[in-house]
Amino acid sequence: MDLKPATPNERRQYYREEWKVKDIPDFILNTLAQREFGFDHIGRGPNDRYRVFQNSDYLRKFMRYRTPFAAYSSVAFYHKPRRRDGWIKAELVFDVDAKDIPIRTCGCDNVCEICLNQAKDIVQGLLDTLQADLGLSNLHVVYSGRGYHIRVLDDEVMVMDSDVRSQIVKYIVGADVPRSEYSSHGMKYNLEHFTIPFGYPQVFTQRVKQALFAVNLDTEIDDVSRDIKKAVIKHRELLKNDQWGLFRKEIGPIRYSRLVKGISSLNLTLVDAKVSIDLKRILRLPSSLHSGVSMKSTLIKNLETFDPFRDAVPKFVYERKD
Amino acid sequence: MVSISFLNPLSPEGKDIVRELGSFDGISQDIPELRRLVTRNPSQEIVEDNEIPSNYLELALKRMEWHIKKKHDREFNSRRYSFLSDQSITRYDVIAFYLLCQAIGVKFGPNSRETRVMVEAQGDLIQERLGKLSIGESRLMVEKSLQMLLKNDRVHWTFFQELLSTRKIRLTDLVLDKGELILDREDFIDRFAPRIKQRNPSSMYQLLIGDELKELIMVKMIMQETEDYIKLVHEKARIMVEPNPLLLELADEVAEVLAEPMQHYGYGSGRGGGGPMKAGPLNPLAFPPCVKKALDGIKSGGRNDAIVLFMTPFVSYARLYPDVFRMNISKRVSDQDPQLEITENEVLPLIYEAAQRCVPPLFDDQPQEKVNINAKLGFGMHSSLKMEHEGETTWYTPMSCEKIKLHLPHLCRPDDACKKIGNPLSYYNRMIWEVRNSNQEESDSDSNGVVSSNNSPEASQDNINTNDEVNGSKIEVPEKNSDNNSGEV
Repeated sequence: MDLKPATPNERRQYYREEWKVKDIPDFILNTLAQREFGFDHIGRGPNDRYRVFQNSDYLRKFMRYRTPFAAYSSVAFYHKPRRRDGWIKAELVFDVDAKDIPIRTCGCDNVCEICLNQAKDIVQGLLDTLQADLGLSNLHVVYSGRGYHIRVLDDEVMVMDSDVRSQIVKYIVGADVPRSEYSSHGMKYNLEHFTIPFGYPQVFTQRVKQALFAVNLDTEIDDVSRDIKKAVIKHRELLKNDQWGLFRKEIGPIRYSRLVKGISSLNLTLVDAKVSIDLKRILRLPSSLHSGVSMKSTLIKNLETFDPFRDAVPKFVYERKD
Repeated sequence: MVSISFLNPLSPEGKDIVRELGSFDGISQDIPELRRLVTRNPSQEIVEDNEIPSNYLELALKRMEWHIKKKHDREFNSRRYSFLSDQSITRYDVIAFYLLCQAIGVKFGPNSRETRVMVEAQGDLIQERLGKLSIGESRLMVEKSLQMLLKNDRVHWTFFQELLSTRKIRLTDLVLDKGELILDREDFIDRFAPRIKQRNPSSMYQLLIGDELKELIMVKMIMQETEDYIKLVHEKARIMVEPNPLLLELADEVAEVLAEPMQHYGYGSGRGGGGPMKAGPLNPLAFPPCVKKALDGIKSGGRNDAIVLFMTPFVSYARLYPDVFRMNISKRVSDQDPQLEITENEVLPLIYEAAQRCVPPLFDDQPQEKVNINAKLGFGMHSSLKMEHEGETTWYTPMSCEKIKLHLPHLCRPDDACKKIGNPLSYYNRMIWEVRNSNQEESDSDSNGVVSSNNSPEASQDNINTNDEVNGSKIEVPEKNSDNNSGEV
């Protein structure tokens, strides 16, 4: 399926015949009047901002009448959304864009089934950590058109500032190499991250594993030579059974530590951290059309079975003649 | 038994001690008992009589002096301060702590360098004191203080929001399960033992949590409480009529103690060389990798952030006010460049050049970014730099490495020198010293003395135009207030 932009006629067809205001997730509809909305009418960025809708009917009419190129709503809740003032709290968002995955297996120049699937795996990993480690539960995953948004609405994190959010990002993506030296009563012990089956070291191990299986010879990793990449490809089967000790031995301990260091800095781009630490960002409205690729931004009920090429394609695409 | 207040003066026991004292009357009076305790301490080494603290105020200053000297003085002798770890001084020490917090809160406020140093000093002192206890005793103390600080058996990580926000602790340092912080041995075994293979869960607990993590959390929490207390004092002082003159006097003396290392040992001990950083022509050889990369032009997304938020503050501070972080005094561009000549002729051209090298060139499709650059230099949202607009916005200080990693991860390709710094500007200052020293050596050995770093191939490739300008204008910016170290921002 090629991802062609939608024509103005197709946009009109979508908003008048297919889209329903009820397709917008409840977590947005229930807080509609506290959010700022932004629109892009001609495809040059969302410059129609500071819009507020007192109820869903106003929003419905606006969408049907204006059939925007793109629609966005704020992750922030405001007392005065029209002035972006009186900030109350903001969703915590993780934006996984298939195009920006640090180690892509596909090599396509836009998005394709392969990198979208890879993005889905990454999202699944992040979700697991948000639940198992951070104990968060009010999580929503939205297909954005070319990747995924994880939106966290747990009250205790919605009030947190950018600095805490950046710490959360680093934790869940595995951006720091866990220390390997530990001491007790003056004795020093060495514990590599993969020998610790809980907490942050475990998160790190999972992210590194994911990255190692995606590596190919062209992947650019800081300070990691082609030889190391060759060795990774040769020995990574060991990791399927979590034989990390053997794997590290095959790579060589010094080269191994360079390898994980390099991967840890790539991990920081697993999500777009700018989005996560921004307390006032606007985000593509779920249910709206991503006109650039003719796909629906879609709230996902079951991530495992979700297939964007089946569940997020608007009807007009099937009716295209060419 | 050591009193909790010896570690945490803000504990209920500590508050009782303050209440008992009642008023400030007599805080400057001699306390023979304190002198006696100090001199009687067997590990105490005291040379001069005036080094013995004989009242609360002097003890307060000794607390600060200890921390500053320990950090910066190569000839620091810990035995001169042994009394600080002697628990028999607890009641005097607690009062001294409160006096310090109040003095700093009233005079300097929570965002000052004085507050930062006071909070650091408190953390440092707690660790020093714990280190002097037996393992059993220290464990008991940590356990007891933590119980008080955490209030509940079950603690959700979000409880540490403030510590995380101020980066006193890193989220990755905590052991978490389903949102809860795991500190207790049994809790740990219950949750994790089934997953642990080939190792003894109990010894794993000892290594990963054990005394170390508990101690860390306790220390950082007390530091945070200290900071919060200073903030509270500051807020109260703003509505109070007149602060106690003794407090103001103490505050001045604290400032003096803090200023001393800058005069004697060069603040930011790691830098070597010492002495203030003078503003001078830019030397592209000393630029950190991220700046060099940005100068090459940004080829993919993030052009705006790289030029406006990253390069503009970096280039302007590196050229005009390189020791902003050491001085800790906010200035305006015109304080350093009164005619704005350097800004117009050196700073902006370098930024524009980097913008021009972006793909596509930044100003081709976004000419309005020129206005944003002016705004980040402190000249409001206007298309040209005019003195009358200065102050409408603030002159942005250079992004930290931490921020760059988040906002512009593609720029960060650290080299060895990056490991020692937290801000690209510190990298630049450090390298300037090294380049200068090596130039010195080269010109010493080379009688021609023509080896200027600006003429090196690498520099000329990147910055032909700017280098010419840099070399052409030899304006040394006189530093205003360069001897004012009080850190009032």
